[in-house]
Amino acid sequence: MSVSTDELIDEITGIVAQELGLSPEAVSPDADLRTVEGADSVKVLRVIARVERARDVELEDEDVFGASTIREVAEVVQRALTETAAA
Amino acid sequence: MTVEDPIELPWHVLADYRCFGCSPHNPHGIQLRFTHRGDGLRTVFRLGRAYESYPGVVHGGLLGVIADEIMGNLIVLRTGQIPFTTGMRMRYVLPVTVGGRYECVARVRDGDGQLIHTEAEIREEDGPLVATATASYRTVSLDAARARISLDAPEIARLRQALSATGPAAETPTRSALPEESHVRVD
Repeated sequence: MSVSTDELIDEITGIVAQELGLSPEAVSPDADLRTVEGADSVKVLRVIARVERARDVELEDEDVFGASTIREVAEVVQRALTETAAA
Repeated sequence: MTVEDPIELPWHVLADYRCFGCSPHNPHGIQLRFTHRGDGLRTVFRLGRAYESYPGVVHGGLLGVIADEIMGNLIVLRTGQIPFTTGMRMRYVLPVTVGGRYECVARVRDGDGQLIHTEAEIREEDGPLVATATASYRTVSLDAARARISLDAPEIARLRQALSATGPAAETPTRSALPEESHVRVD
């Protein structure tokens, strides 16, 4: 099943908002996650763990730590899903 | 919290089995006990300084042992087959503290019978996520596995009977009067 980057952005925005106790509207897909109110590196990793589980995908650490925004995380997930589907 | 009796694992019919993860007979092991959690399994653990990495922090490799142990036993209980780990991947989120109380819950994601994919989460008990694991297991019959494991004929017979009592249709017996908590002690 294919999923668009926009759908992934919505999904990840929801997870980020939940982890940080914010409303999804308060989280911009292009904001640097490490500078969003209430965020820290552990919460970002928790987001990644939840996304991996929700999407049944294993992200490379280089990609995870190279992504700063929700949009970039969504693109990493999108790539991983495409690679998994092609394997 | 409801305290359930721990599940009686098939291995318990072997008087001297020494599994590092789940045997009560291995003084160097972590002696995990399991209870049902939905379709999966749950274990509660507390690790002492014998399992330390940085001062006050549990060695991350032990979390892999715990995840592997609970996922493997889940497959045994669901299939009555012998699982061998073919791959496992950890995502570490937070350090695990020596002496802290944690829980690990595992479930089966999918599988075609011979290759089964599982996942596990480790959390502070009723608290935040500290690690996740995903793994794949190849399952084989006891007859196929016996070439790789050291058991004599009477032990194989006892284990075969115990395994036949597990699987999808079986009601897994529990050990009564045992606390849910692992008896790994903080030293």
